[in-house]
Amino acid sequence: MGMQGDFHQLLKEQGYTLGVPTAVGTGHALTNATTILAFKYRDGVLVAGDRRATAGNMVMYDRTDKVLEIDRHSVMAIAGVPATAYEMVRVLEHSFKYYRRTQLQDLSFDGKLRAVSKLLKDNVPAALAGTGAVVPVFAGYDLEQGSAKIYFYDILGAEFEGVEYAVSGSGSPTIRGILHYLNTWGDQPLNALVEEQAMVQALRLLTSAAEFDSATGGVNREASLYPVIKLITGAGVQTVPDATLKPLYESQVVRYV
Amino acid sequence: MYEEPYRWVEAVGNRRQYLDEQFKQGSPVVALTYDGGILLTTVSKGTPKLYEIYDRLALGGMGHPTDLEKLRFSLLEMAHVEGFNRSPSDVTGSRLVKYGIAPVIKQAFEEVYKAPFIVRILVAELGQKPEKDALLTINYDGTFEEATGCAVLAATPAAQTKMVSYLKEQMPVTLSLAQALDLALRTWAIGSLAHQQEETDQQAETEPPANKAGSSTAAIPSADALMAHVRGTAAGRTIECAILERQAPGTSKYRSLKQADLSRLLPKALQSVVVN
Repeated sequence: MGMQGDFHQLLKEQGYTLGVPTAVGTGHALTNATTILAFKYRDGVLVAGDRRATAGNMVMYDRTDKVLEIDRHSVMAIAGVPATAYEMVRVLEHSFKYYRRTQLQDLSFDGKLRAVSKLLKDNVPAALAGTGAVVPVFAGYDLEQGSAKIYFYDILGAEFEGVEYAVSGSGSPTIRGILHYLNTWGDQPLNALVEEQAMVQALRLLTSAAEFDSATGGVNREASLYPVIKLITGAGVQTVPDATLKPLYESQVVRYV
Repeated sequence: MYEEPYRWVEAVGNRRQYLDEQFKQGSPVVALTYDGGILLTTVSKGTPKLYEIYDRLALGGMGHPTDLEKLRFSLLEMAHVEGFNRSPSDVTGSRLVKYGIAPVIKQAFEEVYKAPFIVRILVAELGQKPEKDALLTINYDGTFEEATGCAVLAATPAAQTKMVSYLKEQMPVTLSLAQALDLALRTWAIGSLAHQQEETDQQAETEPPANKAGSSTAAIPSADALMAHVRGTAAGRTIECAILERQAPGTSKYRSLKQADLSRLLPKALQSVVVN
Protein backbone atom coordinates (compact mmCIF):
# COMPACT_ATOMS: atom_id res chain seq x y z
CA MET A 1 0.00 0.00 0.00
CA GLY A 2 1.17 3.48 -0.77
CA MET A 3 1.01 4.49 2.87
CA GLN A 4 4.60 3.35 3.31
CA GLY A 5 5.74 5.89 0.77
CA ASP A 6 8.05 3.32 -0.83
CA PHE A 7 8.42 4.18 -4.47
CA HIS A 8 10.65 1.26 -5.41
CA GLN A 9 8.08 -1.14 -3.98
CA LEU A 10 5.42 0.60 -6.06
CA LEU A 11 7.53 0.12 -9.19
CA LYS A 12 8.06 -3.54 -8.37
CA GLU A 13 4.34 -4.07 -7.98
CA GLN A 14 4.01 -2.77 -11.51
CA GLY A 15 6.48 -5.33 -12.74
CA TYR A 16 9.66 -3.29 -12.72
CA THR A 17 13.01 -4.92 -12.00
CA LEU A 18 16.29 -3.16 -11.62
CA GLY A 19 19.30 -4.71 -13.38
CA VAL A 20 18.23 -7.89 -15.15
CA PRO A 21 21.02 -10.45 -14.78
CA THR A 22 22.40 -12.21 -17.81
CA ALA A 23 23.51 -15.83 -17.45
CA VAL A 24 25.28 -15.96 -14.10
CA GLY A 25 29.00 -16.43 -14.20
CA THR A 26 29.72 -15.27 -17.72
CA GLY A 27 32.90 -14.09 -16.12
CA HIS A 28 33.17 -10.52 -17.34
CA ALA A 29 35.74 -8.53 -15.42
CA LEU A 30 34.12 -6.05 -13.09
CA THR A 31 34.40 -2.65 -14.68
CA ASN A 32 34.73 0.44 -12.55
CA ALA A 33 37.06 2.47 -14.67
CA THR A 34 36.85 5.96 -13.21
CA THR A 35 37.82 7.99 -10.18
CA ILE A 36 35.40 9.52 -7.73
CA LEU A 37 36.16 11.00 -4.36
CA ALA A 38 34.45 12.72 -1.48
CA PHE A 39 35.91 14.42 1.57
CA LYS A 40 34.65 16.68 4.31
CA TYR A 41 35.89 20.25 4.35
CA ARG A 42 35.10 23.10 6.70
CA ASP A 43 31.57 23.92 5.50
CA GLY A 44 30.33 20.52 4.39
CA VAL A 45 31.38 17.84 1.98
CA LEU A 46 33.01 18.01 -1.44
CA VAL A 47 32.27 15.32 -4.03
CA ALA A 48 34.23 15.15 -7.28
CA GLY A 49 34.58 12.85 -10.25
CA ASP A 50 36.48 12.80 -13.53
CA ARG A 51 34.49 12.83 -16.73
CA ARG A 52 35.84 9.97 -18.78
CA ALA A 53 33.75 6.97 -19.79
CA THR A 54 35.63 3.99 -21.20
CA ALA A 55 34.91 0.61 -22.73
CA GLY A 56 37.99 -1.54 -22.43
CA ASN A 57 40.83 0.62 -23.66
CA MET A 58 38.56 2.81 -25.73
CA VAL A 59 37.56 6.26 -24.54
CA MET A 60 33.86 6.45 -25.24
CA TYR A 61 33.03 9.89 -23.96
CA ASP A 62 34.86 12.67 -22.20
CA ARG A 63 32.03 14.65 -20.71
CA THR A 64 30.27 12.19 -18.45
CA ASP A 65 28.78 13.46 -15.21
CA LYS A 66 29.41 10.86 -12.53
CA VAL A 67 28.48 13.05 -9.59
CA LEU A 68 24.72 13.09 -9.59
CA GLU A 69 22.45 15.20 -7.47
CA ILE A 70 19.69 13.13 -5.90
CA ASP A 71 17.95 15.85 -3.95
CA ARG A 72 18.76 19.27 -2.49
CA HIS A 73 21.06 17.74 0.14
CA SER A 74 22.45 14.52 -1.24
CA VAL A 75 24.67 13.42 -4.06
CA MET A 76 25.68 10.04 -5.39
CA ALA A 77 29.00 9.63 -7.17
CA ILE A 78 29.09 6.53 -9.30
CA ALA A 79 31.76 4.05 -10.35
CA GLY A 80 30.83 0.95 -12.25
CA VAL A 81 28.38 0.16 -15.02
CA PRO A 82 26.84 3.49 -16.01
CA ALA A 83 23.53 2.10 -17.26
CA THR A 84 22.74 0.56 -13.88
CA ALA A 85 24.16 3.49 -11.96
CA TYR A 86 22.06 6.08 -13.78
CA GLU A 87 18.99 3.92 -13.33
CA MET A 88 19.69 3.66 -9.60
CA VAL A 89 20.01 7.40 -9.36
CA ARG A 90 16.69 7.82 -11.13
CA VAL A 91 15.00 5.37 -8.77
CA LEU A 92 16.50 7.11 -5.74
CA GLU A 93 15.60 10.56 -6.95
CA HIS A 94 11.97 9.57 -7.41
CA SER A 95 11.93 7.55 -4.17
CA PHE A 96 13.02 10.51 -2.05
CA LYS A 97 10.60 12.87 -3.77
CA TYR A 98 7.76 10.36 -3.48
CA TYR A 99 8.46 9.79 0.20
CA ARG A 100 8.58 13.50 0.96
CA ARG A 101 5.36 14.23 -0.91
CA THR A 102 3.34 11.29 0.38
CA GLN A 103 4.50 11.35 4.00
CA LEU A 104 4.77 15.15 4.18
CA GLN A 105 8.23 14.97 5.73
CA ASP A 106 11.74 14.41 4.41
CA LEU A 107 13.20 10.93 4.42
CA SER A 108 15.84 10.86 7.17
CA PHE A 109 19.48 10.62 6.18
CA ASP A 110 19.65 7.07 7.53
CA GLY A 111 16.55 6.24 5.51
CA LYS A 112 18.28 7.49 2.39
CA LEU A 113 21.36 5.35 3.09
CA ARG A 114 19.17 2.34 3.57
CA ALA A 115 17.45 3.01 0.25
CA VAL A 116 20.83 2.98 -1.54
CA SER A 117 21.75 -0.26 0.22
CA LYS A 118 18.49 -1.93 -0.75
CA LEU A 119 18.91 -1.00 -4.40
CA LEU A 120 22.43 -2.43 -4.45
CA LYS A 121 21.17 -5.59 -2.80
CA ASP A 122 18.45 -5.98 -5.44
CA ASN A 123 21.13 -5.56 -8.04
CA VAL A 124 23.43 -8.31 -6.73
CA PRO A 125 22.58 -10.91 -9.43
CA ALA A 126 23.39 -8.43 -12.18
CA ALA A 127 26.50 -7.31 -10.34
CA LEU A 128 27.80 -10.85 -9.96
CA ALA A 129 27.03 -11.66 -13.57
CA GLY A 130 29.40 -8.85 -14.45
CA THR A 131 26.87 -6.71 -16.28
CA GLY A 132 25.67 -4.34 -13.60
CA ALA A 133 28.14 -3.77 -10.79
CA VAL A 134 27.98 -0.33 -9.23
CA VAL A 135 30.23 0.93 -6.45
CA PRO A 136 28.86 4.30 -5.37
CA VAL A 137 29.85 6.93 -2.87
CA PHE A 138 26.87 8.62 -1.23
CA ALA A 139 27.42 11.98 0.40
CA GLY A 140 25.10 14.49 1.88
CA TYR A 141 24.23 16.92 4.58
CA ASP A 142 22.19 15.55 7.47
CA LEU A 143 19.98 18.50 8.34
CA GLU A 144 18.71 16.95 11.56
CA GLN A 145 22.22 16.54 12.96
CA GLY A 146 23.66 19.53 11.15
CA SER A 147 26.63 17.61 9.79
CA ALA A 148 28.04 16.39 6.51
CA LYS A 149 28.30 12.64 5.96
CA ILE A 150 30.03 10.32 3.52
CA TYR A 151 29.27 6.65 2.90
CA PHE A 152 30.71 4.17 0.47
CA TYR A 153 29.35 0.82 -0.59
CA ASP A 154 30.55 -2.48 -1.99
CA ILE A 155 28.69 -4.10 -4.88
CA LEU A 156 26.62 -6.23 -2.51
CA GLY A 157 25.12 -3.26 -0.70
CA ALA A 158 27.17 -3.15 2.50
CA GLU A 159 27.45 0.42 3.68
CA PHE A 160 30.53 1.91 5.34
CA GLU A 161 30.92 5.35 6.74
CA GLY A 162 33.90 7.23 5.36
CA VAL A 163 34.54 9.41 8.37
CA GLU A 164 36.79 11.93 6.62
CA TYR A 165 36.92 10.79 3.00
CA ALA A 166 35.89 8.04 0.61
CA VAL A 167 37.06 7.06 -2.86
CA SER A 168 35.95 4.63 -5.54
CA GLY A 169 36.89 3.55 -9.05
CA SER A 170 40.02 2.31 -10.78
CA GLY A 171 41.99 5.49 -10.07
CA SER A 172 41.16 5.43 -6.39
CA PRO A 173 44.15 3.44 -5.04
CA THR A 174 46.45 6.28 -6.11
CA ILE A 175 44.54 9.01 -4.33
CA ARG A 176 43.49 7.02 -1.31
CA GLY A 177 47.10 7.10 -0.14
CA ILE A 178 47.36 10.80 -0.88
CA LEU A 179 44.18 11.54 1.07
CA HIS A 180 45.46 9.58 4.05
CA TYR A 181 48.77 11.41 3.90
CA LEU A 182 47.17 14.83 3.54
CA ASN A 183 44.70 14.25 6.31
CA THR A 184 47.29 12.91 8.73
CA TRP A 185 50.41 14.95 8.03
CA GLY A 186 49.22 17.80 5.86
CA ASP A 187 49.35 21.44 6.99
CA GLN A 188 45.84 21.00 8.27
CA PRO A 189 43.36 18.14 8.33
CA LEU A 190 40.95 17.95 5.37
CA ASN A 191 37.98 19.04 7.44
CA ALA A 192 39.68 22.35 8.19
CA LEU A 193 40.08 23.31 4.52
CA VAL A 194 38.15 26.32 3.31
CA GLU A 195 36.09 25.99 0.15
CA GLU A 196 38.76 27.20 -2.27
CA GLN A 197 41.51 25.00 -0.81
CA ALA A 198 39.18 22.03 -0.89
CA MET A 199 38.53 22.60 -4.61
CA VAL A 200 42.26 22.90 -5.31
CA GLN A 201 42.92 19.62 -3.48
CA ALA A 202 40.16 17.90 -5.42
CA LEU A 203 41.65 19.08 -8.73
CA ARG A 204 45.14 17.93 -7.68
CA LEU A 205 43.83 14.55 -6.54
CA LEU A 206 41.98 13.90 -9.80
CA THR A 207 45.00 15.04 -11.81
CA SER A 208 47.14 12.55 -9.85
CA ALA A 209 44.63 9.78 -10.46
CA ALA A 210 44.67 10.56 -14.19
CA GLU A 211 48.46 10.40 -14.16
CA PHE A 212 48.46 6.73 -13.13
CA ASP A 213 45.10 5.47 -14.38
CA SER A 214 44.31 5.49 -18.08
CA ALA A 215 40.58 5.28 -17.41
CA THR A 216 40.53 8.54 -15.47
CA GLY A 217 40.15 11.71 -17.49
CA GLY A 218 41.75 14.44 -15.42
CA VAL A 219 41.77 17.97 -16.78
CA ASN A 220 41.99 18.85 -20.45
CA ARG A 221 42.60 22.58 -20.72
CA GLU A 222 42.62 22.70 -24.52
CA ALA A 223 39.09 21.35 -24.54
CA SER A 224 38.31 23.36 -21.38
CA LEU A 225 37.29 20.13 -19.76
CA TYR A 226 37.23 20.15 -15.98
CA PRO A 227 36.10 17.52 -13.49
CA VAL A 228 32.67 17.73 -11.90
CA ILE A 229 32.93 19.13 -8.38
CA LYS A 230 29.91 19.52 -6.12
CA LEU A 231 29.81 21.10 -2.69
CA ILE A 232 27.11 20.10 -0.22
CA THR A 233 26.45 22.35 2.73
CA GLY A 234 23.44 23.10 4.90
CA ALA A 235 22.24 25.39 2.10
CA GLY A 236 22.08 22.53 -0.40
CA VAL A 237 24.07 21.12 -3.29
CA GLN A 238 26.07 23.51 -5.40
CA THR A 239 27.89 22.63 -8.62
CA VAL A 240 31.17 24.47 -9.05
CA PRO A 241 31.20 26.14 -12.48
CA ASP A 242 34.16 25.63 -14.84
CA ALA A 243 34.78 29.38 -14.69
CA THR A 244 35.75 28.96 -11.02
CA LEU A 245 37.83 25.83 -11.57
CA LYS A 246 39.83 27.24 -14.50
CA PRO A 247 41.76 29.95 -12.59
CA LEU A 248 42.29 27.64 -9.62
CA TYR A 249 43.70 24.97 -11.88
CA GLU A 250 45.97 27.40 -13.69
CA SER A 251 47.30 29.09 -10.58
CA GLN A 252 47.54 26.22 -8.13
CA VAL A 253 47.55 22.91 -9.94
CA VAL A 254 49.68 23.35 -13.07
CA ARG A 255 53.38 23.46 -12.32
CA TYR A 256 55.60 25.37 -14.66
CA VAL A 257 59.02 23.78 -14.34
CA MET B 1 -34.29 -1.53 -6.70
CA TYR B 2 -31.87 0.65 -8.62
CA GLU B 3 -32.13 -1.54 -11.71
CA GLU B 4 -34.93 0.62 -13.01
CA PRO B 5 -33.53 3.66 -14.79
CA TYR B 6 -35.87 6.02 -13.01
CA ARG B 7 -34.78 4.76 -9.61
CA TRP B 8 -31.18 5.18 -10.57
CA VAL B 9 -31.67 8.76 -11.68
CA GLU B 10 -33.48 9.42 -8.44
CA ALA B 11 -30.67 7.83 -6.42
CA VAL B 12 -28.07 9.95 -8.19
CA GLY B 13 -30.20 13.01 -7.48
CA ASN B 14 -30.34 12.13 -3.80
CA ARG B 15 -26.61 11.71 -3.85
CA ARG B 16 -26.15 15.24 -5.18
CA GLN B 17 -28.29 16.56 -2.38
CA TYR B 18 -26.35 14.57 0.19
CA LEU B 19 -23.01 15.69 -1.20
CA ASP B 20 -23.99 19.36 -1.44
CA GLU B 21 -24.86 19.12 2.23
CA GLN B 22 -21.39 17.74 3.03
CA PHE B 23 -19.58 20.81 1.74
CA LYS B 24 -21.43 23.26 3.94
CA GLN B 25 -18.66 23.43 6.51
CA GLY B 26 -15.96 23.50 3.86
CA SER B 27 -13.51 26.34 3.43
CA PRO B 28 -13.11 27.73 -0.11
CA VAL B 29 -9.81 27.35 -1.98
CA VAL B 30 -8.43 30.09 -4.23
CA ALA B 31 -5.72 29.67 -6.87
CA LEU B 32 -4.37 32.44 -9.04
CA THR B 33 -1.32 33.19 -11.10
CA TYR B 34 1.04 35.98 -10.05
CA ASP B 35 4.20 37.34 -11.68
CA GLY B 36 6.40 34.57 -10.26
CA GLY B 37 4.14 31.54 -10.50
CA ILE B 38 0.90 30.27 -8.99
CA LEU B 39 -0.48 30.89 -5.52
CA LEU B 40 -2.93 28.61 -3.69
CA THR B 41 -4.68 29.80 -0.56
CA THR B 42 -7.25 28.55 1.90
CA VAL B 43 -8.08 28.88 5.56
CA SER B 44 -8.01 25.42 7.06
CA LYS B 45 -9.09 23.90 10.31
CA GLY B 46 -7.27 20.86 11.62
CA THR B 47 -6.13 19.11 8.46
CA PRO B 48 -4.11 20.77 5.72
CA LYS B 49 -5.83 21.22 2.37
CA LEU B 50 -2.94 22.15 0.10
CA TYR B 51 -0.41 19.60 -1.06
CA GLU B 52 2.51 18.99 -3.40
CA ILE B 53 1.86 16.43 -6.14
CA TYR B 54 4.83 16.63 -8.44
CA ASP B 55 7.66 18.93 -9.54
CA ARG B 56 5.23 21.46 -11.02
CA LEU B 57 1.90 20.30 -9.66
CA ALA B 58 -0.02 21.34 -6.58
CA LEU B 59 -3.32 20.16 -5.13
CA GLY B 60 -5.99 21.99 -3.21
CA GLY B 61 -9.06 20.25 -1.84
CA MET B 62 -12.36 20.58 -0.08
CA GLY B 63 -14.32 17.85 1.57
CA HIS B 64 -13.63 14.77 3.61
CA PRO B 65 -9.98 14.47 4.67
CA THR B 66 -9.83 10.70 4.14
CA ASP B 67 -11.28 10.88 0.63
CA LEU B 68 -8.90 13.69 -0.18
CA GLU B 69 -5.99 11.56 1.09
CA LYS B 70 -7.05 8.61 -1.10
CA LEU B 71 -7.16 10.74 -4.21
CA ARG B 72 -3.97 12.54 -3.26
CA PHE B 73 -2.21 9.18 -3.06
CA SER B 74 -3.48 8.06 -6.44
CA LEU B 75 -2.36 11.34 -7.97
CA LEU B 76 1.06 10.99 -6.36
CA GLU B 77 1.38 7.40 -7.53
CA MET B 78 0.38 8.17 -11.10
CA ALA B 79 2.59 11.25 -11.29
CA HIS B 80 5.71 9.57 -9.93
CA VAL B 81 5.37 6.38 -11.94
CA GLU B 82 4.83 8.41 -15.10
CA GLY B 83 7.72 10.74 -14.24
CA PHE B 84 9.99 7.75 -13.71
CA ASN B 85 8.90 5.68 -16.70
CA ARG B 86 8.75 8.57 -19.15
CA SER B 87 10.10 11.88 -17.94
CA PRO B 88 9.10 14.62 -15.49
CA SER B 89 7.97 16.83 -18.38
CA ASP B 90 5.41 14.20 -19.40
CA VAL B 91 3.61 14.52 -16.07
CA THR B 92 0.90 17.03 -16.82
CA GLY B 93 -2.05 18.10 -14.72
CA SER B 94 -4.55 17.68 -17.50
CA ARG B 95 -3.59 14.05 -18.17
CA LEU B 96 -3.66 13.19 -14.45
CA VAL B 97 -7.08 14.76 -14.09
CA LYS B 98 -8.79 13.73 -17.32
CA TYR B 99 -7.51 10.16 -17.58
CA GLY B 100 -6.50 9.63 -13.97
CA ILE B 101 -8.77 10.68 -11.16
CA ALA B 102 -11.82 12.25 -12.82
CA PRO B 103 -13.05 8.87 -14.16
CA VAL B 104 -12.47 7.31 -10.72
CA ILE B 105 -14.48 10.05 -9.02
CA LYS B 106 -17.26 9.78 -11.57
CA GLN B 107 -17.47 6.02 -11.20
CA ALA B 108 -17.66 6.25 -7.42
CA PHE B 109 -20.36 8.89 -7.74
CA GLU B 110 -22.53 6.80 -10.04
CA GLU B 111 -22.13 3.47 -8.28
CA VAL B 112 -25.05 4.16 -6.01
CA TYR B 113 -24.42 1.10 -3.84
CA LYS B 114 -21.04 2.44 -2.79
CA ALA B 115 -19.89 5.57 -1.06
CA PRO B 116 -18.93 8.51 -3.30
CA PHE B 117 -15.84 10.65 -2.79
CA ILE B 118 -16.77 13.70 -0.75
CA VAL B 119 -14.29 16.00 -2.45
CA ARG B 120 -13.82 18.93 -4.74
CA ILE B 121 -10.30 19.12 -6.11
CA LEU B 122 -8.18 21.81 -7.67
CA VAL B 123 -4.97 20.92 -9.51
CA ALA B 124 -2.57 23.75 -10.33
CA GLU B 125 0.13 23.23 -12.90
CA LEU B 126 3.09 25.52 -13.41
CA GLY B 127 3.91 25.54 -17.12
CA GLN B 128 7.38 25.90 -18.58
CA LYS B 129 6.20 29.33 -19.70
CA PRO B 130 3.68 31.53 -17.86
CA GLU B 131 1.12 31.17 -20.66
CA LYS B 132 1.20 27.40 -20.14
CA ASP B 133 0.07 27.64 -16.50
CA ALA B 134 -3.12 25.66 -16.02
CA LEU B 135 -5.71 25.30 -13.31
CA LEU B 136 -8.11 22.37 -13.22
CA THR B 137 -11.04 21.80 -10.94
CA ILE B 138 -12.95 18.56 -10.45
CA ASN B 139 -16.34 18.30 -8.82
CA TYR B 140 -17.56 15.33 -6.74
CA ASP B 141 -19.35 13.89 -9.79
CA GLY B 142 -16.19 13.81 -11.88
CA THR B 143 -16.89 16.85 -14.06
CA PHE B 144 -13.73 18.83 -14.59
CA GLU B 145 -13.07 22.30 -15.86
CA GLU B 146 -9.88 23.85 -17.12
CA ALA B 147 -9.15 27.51 -16.45
CA THR B 148 -6.30 29.95 -16.81
CA GLY B 149 -5.48 32.88 -14.54
CA CYS B 150 -7.63 31.89 -11.61
CA ALA B 151 -9.82 29.09 -10.28
CA VAL B 152 -11.67 28.44 -7.05
CA LEU B 153 -13.38 25.72 -5.05
CA ALA B 154 -16.41 26.76 -3.04
CA ALA B 155 -19.24 25.24 -1.03
CA THR B 156 -21.93 26.00 -3.63
CA PRO B 157 -21.97 26.89 -7.35
CA ALA B 158 -23.39 30.32 -6.49
CA ALA B 159 -20.52 31.08 -4.11
CA GLN B 160 -18.09 29.86 -6.75
CA THR B 161 -19.55 32.19 -9.38
CA LYS B 162 -19.31 35.15 -7.02
CA MET B 163 -15.69 34.38 -6.19
CA VAL B 164 -14.66 33.99 -9.82
CA SER B 165 -16.40 37.18 -10.91
CA TYR B 166 -14.78 39.08 -8.01
CA LEU B 167 -11.37 37.70 -8.98
CA LYS B 168 -11.82 38.54 -12.66
CA GLU B 169 -12.94 42.04 -11.78
CA GLN B 170 -10.16 42.79 -9.29
CA MET B 171 -7.26 41.03 -10.96
CA PRO B 172 -4.75 43.41 -12.52
CA VAL B 173 -2.59 42.35 -15.46
CA THR B 174 0.39 41.55 -13.27
CA LEU B 175 0.56 41.25 -9.54
CA SER B 176 3.25 40.47 -7.01
CA LEU B 177 3.03 37.63 -4.51
CA ALA B 178 1.92 39.97 -1.71
CA GLN B 179 -0.76 41.51 -3.92
CA ALA B 180 -1.88 38.05 -5.03
CA LEU B 181 -2.13 36.91 -1.43
CA ASP B 182 -4.18 39.95 -0.52
CA LEU B 183 -6.56 39.38 -3.45
CA ALA B 184 -6.77 35.64 -2.76
CA LEU B 185 -7.78 36.21 0.86
CA ARG B 186 -10.39 38.77 -0.12
CA THR B 187 -11.78 36.29 -2.65
CA TRP B 188 -11.78 33.63 0.04
CA ALA B 189 -13.86 36.00 2.19
CA ILE B 190 -16.29 36.56 -0.70
CA GLY B 191 -16.80 32.80 -0.92
CA SER B 192 -17.12 32.34 2.79
CA LEU B 193 -19.58 35.27 3.11
CA ALA B 194 -21.63 34.18 0.11
CA HIS B 195 -22.01 30.82 1.70
CA GLN B 196 -23.05 32.27 5.05
CA GLN B 197 -25.58 34.39 3.20
CA GLU B 198 -27.06 31.33 1.51
CA GLU B 199 -27.39 29.64 4.87
CA THR B 200 -29.38 32.51 6.32
CA ASP B 201 -31.45 32.70 3.13
CA GLN B 202 -32.30 29.05 3.51
CA GLN B 203 -33.33 29.49 7.10
CA ALA B 204 -35.74 32.20 5.94
CA GLU B 205 -37.30 29.74 3.52
CA THR B 206 -40.67 31.44 3.85
CA GLU B 207 -39.53 34.34 1.73
CA PRO B 208 -40.67 34.22 -1.89
CA PRO B 209 -37.92 33.32 -4.37
CA ALA B 210 -37.96 36.82 -5.88
CA ASN B 211 -36.33 38.24 -2.76
CA LYS B 212 -33.67 35.58 -2.84
CA ALA B 213 -32.53 36.72 -6.25
CA GLY B 214 -32.28 40.23 -4.83
CA SER B 215 -29.97 39.17 -2.01
CA SER B 216 -27.58 37.30 -4.30
CA THR B 217 -26.90 40.46 -6.30
CA ALA B 218 -26.21 42.43 -3.11
CA ALA B 219 -23.35 44.93 -3.26
CA ILE B 220 -19.84 43.51 -2.95
CA PRO B 221 -18.40 44.30 0.49
CA SER B 222 -15.43 46.67 0.67
CA ALA B 223 -11.89 45.35 0.88
CA ASP B 224 -11.71 46.31 4.55
CA ALA B 225 -14.92 44.45 5.36
CA LEU B 226 -13.59 41.38 3.55
CA MET B 227 -10.33 41.49 5.48
CA ALA B 228 -12.25 41.90 8.71
CA HIS B 229 -14.16 38.75 7.83
CA VAL B 230 -10.91 36.84 7.21
CA ARG B 231 -9.55 38.11 10.52
CA GLY B 232 -12.70 37.04 12.31
CA THR B 233 -12.76 33.54 10.80
CA ALA B 234 -9.03 32.85 10.78
CA ALA B 235 -8.71 33.01 14.56
CA GLY B 236 -8.15 29.45 15.70
CA ARG B 237 -7.62 28.33 12.10
CA THR B 238 -4.62 28.41 9.81
CA ILE B 239 -4.16 30.62 6.78
CA GLU B 240 -2.62 28.09 4.45
CA CYS B 241 -0.63 29.27 1.43
CA ALA B 242 1.44 27.37 -1.08
CA ILE B 243 3.21 28.53 -4.20
CA LEU B 244 4.55 27.00 -7.36
CA GLU B 245 7.53 29.24 -7.90
CA ARG B 246 8.91 29.50 -11.41
CA GLN B 247 12.35 30.69 -10.30
CA ALA B 248 12.79 28.17 -7.46
CA PRO B 249 16.13 26.32 -7.59
CA GLY B 250 16.07 22.61 -8.42
CA THR B 251 13.27 20.67 -10.06
CA SER B 252 10.64 20.84 -7.29
CA LYS B 253 8.84 24.16 -7.62
CA TYR B 254 6.31 23.70 -4.81
CA ARG B 255 6.80 25.49 -1.53
CA SER B 256 4.35 26.00 1.28
CA LEU B 257 4.69 29.43 2.86
CA LYS B 258 5.92 29.37 6.45
CA GLN B 259 5.06 31.73 9.31
CA ALA B 260 8.04 33.93 8.49
CA ASP B 261 7.01 34.31 4.83
CA LEU B 262 3.43 35.01 5.77
CA SER B 263 4.20 37.68 8.32
CA ARG B 264 6.23 39.42 5.61
CA LEU B 265 3.63 39.02 2.86
CA LEU B 266 0.25 39.26 4.55
CA PRO B 267 -1.62 42.56 4.55
CA LYS B 268 -1.21 44.52 7.80
CA ALA B 269 -4.79 43.85 8.86
CA LEU B 270 -3.96 40.15 9.21
CA GLN B 271 -0.54 40.27 10.85
CA SER B 272 -2.02 39.63 14.28
CA VAL B 273 -3.71 36.44 13.08
CA VAL B 274 -0.44 34.90 11.90
CA VAL B 275 1.46 35.62 15.08
CA ASN B 276 -1.02 33.58 17.10
